Amino acid sequence: MLCKLAWGNVRRAGKDYLVYLLTLTLAVTVFYAFNTISVQADLVLEEEGMPELLSTIMSGLTMFLATLMGFLMVYANNFIMKRRKKEFGLYQVLGMSRGQVSRVMALETAIVSGAALVLGIALGVGFSQLMTFFTASLFKTQIRDFHFFFSVPAFLITVGCLVAIFLVTLVFNLRVVRRAKVIDLMSAGRKNEAIKMRNPIVSAAIFILGTALIGIAYFRLLRDGLPIDSAPSEIEAAMNQFMLTTGIVVVGTILFFFGLSGFLLKVLQAARGLYWRGLNMFTVRQLSAKVNTMSFSMAIISMILFLAITSVTGGMSIASVMNTSVERSTIADYSRVVMYLGENVVNDPTYTGDIPMKLATEPVDILELSRSNVIDKGTSEERPFDLAGILGSHVQVEIYDSRPIGTKLPLVSLNDLAAAVDMPMPKGTNSSNASMMGLTVMKESDYNRYLDFRGKEHVDLGDDGYLITSDMGESVNKIYNADMREGVEIELGGRVLRPVAASVDEAASSFFNSSMGSNSGTIVVPDELVDASGLPLYASYFLGDYREGLTYDETEGYVRQDRSWDQILNADGSESAIWGMEATRAQSYESTNSMNGLISYLAIYIGFVLVVACAAILTIQQLSGVADSGKNCRILSELGTSNREIMRSVLVQQAIFFVFPLLMGVAHSFVALQVVIEIVALFGGMSIGGTVGVTCGIFLLCYGGYFVVTYFMSKGIVQDSIRLRHAQ
Amino acid sequence: MAFEAQAAPVLEVRHVEKVYGSRNNVTRALADVSFTVNKGEFVGIMGASGSGKSTLLNCVSTIDTVTSGSVIINGADVTRLKQAKLTRFRREQLGFIFQDSNLLDTLTARENIALPLTIARTPAKETLARVEQVAQRLDIAGVLDKYPYQMSGGQQQRVAAARALVTDPAVILADEPTGALDSKNARLLLESLENMNHAYQATVLMVTHDSFAASYTNRVLFIRDGRIFTELRRGDSPRREFFDRIMEVVAMMGGEGSDAL
Repeated sequence: MLCKLAWGNVRRAGKDYLVYLLTLTLAVTVFYAFNTISVQADLVLEEEGMPELLSTIMSGLTMFLATLMGFLMVYANNFIMKRRKKEFGLYQVLGMSRGQVSRVMALETAIVSGAALVLGIALGVGFSQLMTFFTASLFKTQIRDFHFFFSVPAFLITVGCLVAIFLVTLVFNLRVVRRAKVIDLMSAGRKNEAIKMRNPIVSAAIFILGTALIGIAYFRLLRDGLPIDSAPSEIEAAMNQFMLTTGIVVVGTILFFFGLSGFLLKVLQAARGLYWRGLNMFTVRQLSAKVNTMSFSMAIISMILFLAITSVTGGMSIASVMNTSVERSTIADYSRVVMYLGENVVNDPTYTGDIPMKLATEPVDILELSRSNVIDKGTSEERPFDLAGILGSHVQVEIYDSRPIGTKLPLVSLNDLAAAVDMPMPKGTNSSNASMMGLTVMKESDYNRYLDFRGKEHVDLGDDGYLITSDMGESVNKIYNADMREGVEIELGGRVLRPVAASVDEAASSFFNSSMGSNSGTIVVPDELVDASGLPLYASYFLGDYREGLTYDETEGYVRQDRSWDQILNADGSESAIWGMEATRAQSYESTNSMNGLISYLAIYIGFVLVVACAAILTIQQLSGVADSGKNCRILSELGTSNREIMRSVLVQQAIFFVFPLLMGVAHSFVALQVVIEIVALFGGMSIGGTVGVTCGIFLLCYGGYFVVTYFMSKGIVQDSIRLRHAQ
Repeated sequence: MAFEAQAAPVLEVRHVEKVYGSRNNVTRALADVSFTVNKGEFVGIMGASGSGKSTLLNCVSTIDTVTSGSVIINGADVTRLKQAKLTRFRREQLGFIFQDSNLLDTLTARENIALPLTIARTPAKETLARVEQVAQRLDIAGVLDKYPYQMSGGQQQRVAAARALVTDPAVILADEPTGALDSKNARLLLESLENMNHAYQATVLMVTHDSFAASYTNRVLFIRDGRIFTELRRGDSPRREFFDRIMEVVAMMGGEGSDAL
């Protein structure tokens, strides 16, 4: 019997439940689709590990977003409950116990949640197939082997979230029924919220104050920038200033929306011909009557939209910057590094290993040493890893530690170079002392061989010239550039050196493949000075390009196949060096693309859920508002207003509620992104477009979709209430 | 006859029938109702609940449609009008006063009264002047800038009356306008209606079940079971006497086993 009642209620209150169902369905779709990321990544990525990482992050994020959705659903449900209090009161008057009423309600929620689950999973399964193509493009790869898939883990996570949302909603609902007295439930319809009118002059003043505060906050943000940009000693003060700016903009936004309707009212009233015309005054008055309930949520929504837009745009832009950076610091088809053991390692008194360690005296030959790697070890196919067989041109260069053997202080340090031109140390380096920030040193002849390999012009340092190389971006390069521009002299090996160039050539500063910059400062000096200064070896870098005419399998495939390698031992069995990073151009790009894909993915996921949540809140609020103003619409109709005009007024009201938060969010994002762009630009070029445009387009479509749904549902509600008197 | 020509009918109801329900379950709410109202008349319609008086008013006011027959207001047959024209007709020719004042709760009294004029796109200057004039007449000039929730029930009803009058409609339709008022406020409202009727030659059709309210009219139509049962004209008699005559008819109708009025 209760089931029958619940089922009947859901069908009858279908309109009320529609928003609830729609939002829950969308949530399920999105949860499922994004949690299938690991399956999708399997289809498009060759890399191991990435899919697992993705799925871990996604499921964590889903929990968070599900919580958010849970609160949204509680809110949505409050709307339904508000409209049905009288009905629940009636059940109790007719003799149903509270427990039974609660059960009816639980059943109703369960029916709707169940429907949302079925619909959502169906949509999600379809959507995730499509999304695989999108994923492939985000990760800049092709789909290797596409087939229909259904992800059980994603399904389970989704069901888990839905159940959690269901339970939370249920608890809140039951509380409403438990707590309410029958008399309150029965008179809920009559107990319309008292309409409090605000003084429009005060409202207009609040609006102007809010606008002014927003303006001030924008100005402060554009002037001060983000705190991470400021000097280390001032970072705390800058952070406080930034928090103040944030506070101002939040308060400003809230005041803006609080005074908005009053301001509109005042402005329109000033234009008498406009105010006393058609339904204009009705429209504005309706708006200002709702200011109490709506202004705060409009402010919140504009800020959430701001978060969504900024996270998507910012996240995807950072990804595009990383692309630029990988292009700059990926310089050869293949690179391999050998690191030499430093003094502190060799002389470590706590070392108890079997193999003795000593400082290297000669650099290793990486091409030759690589033959000690064994492919298919322990099988009859066992053979050495022969780089010479696949590489064409190649080069090996050495860099040296700038701390001479037996000393602790570097001969050249970033601290000294910064002090020489009166510049602060870059952020994040303030705690390091001078011994930590030594530059590495490279011989002129090595650097020229490196330039040969890169196809660039030689440099000539003469007897007393130096050059600094670095690919770590503006933060350190601005110091080096200032040093070289101002001709700062450096003393090394008993000779005073002067710069031979005016700035760092970033395009000739990366010595091995990596997705980000890796050379924080290497000074190139005449060969004899390195030997004269007694500098220890720091690392050897080997770079090579594949020989022409070889296939992918013969080169990349050869490098990537399983092989084993042992420690690097000297002839006397002691150890002086260890294998460092080995990376091909393709691997370097792949890891960047995966990282890019990950960032974009998260940005879109978070953004999408936030936008849906905002739109759903607005829709629910609007529908509840329309239901309350149904009587007013009926009066208008009786006074001889055409339905078209009434609906136009409703449309204008709703458009204001939907468009203003969006505009505000976009304005906030626009200003914030100006600053973000400045920061990100430090690491490379910044472009907003392409994918970002498409993503924002999808968001707008979704937001607009909710608006359209709201309007058409309102139309139904209004027409019902207009017809009401006819039926009597 | 000269008199008849001068008092031309503003409203003519001819053989109106209204049937609710499907074929098997028919309820006849109005059966062959005919009457005319002349310009400047104040007519009351009385009947028990369920007698069909509200249905009649809804049919006249174009809110409901008739099953057969015609309703002619100022020469136009409203039963033949299409929806769009109907809206316009309602706006220009009819004024409404309901039991609950039906004011828009978000608008001030001034805006409520002005609403029918703004909907009809009357210039702002003229709108405000007419609102002011009507408000003076109905003694509500002092509450013009108040919201409905700040006014008494009587004031609300008089604002509603002002709103009905402001467009200078052919007929003002009042549905139990005193129903929710105490006797003092009811008398004030009825005097206002009487006043409007005299001063503006406004034609008023008022549905009521209150004999006291009906005694303010020129003529009362009694409806029972969807038919016009009888009609009383006040003539030149004082209100007190007319009230007694109304009470007699009510008692007689009640005595025949009908619902007490």
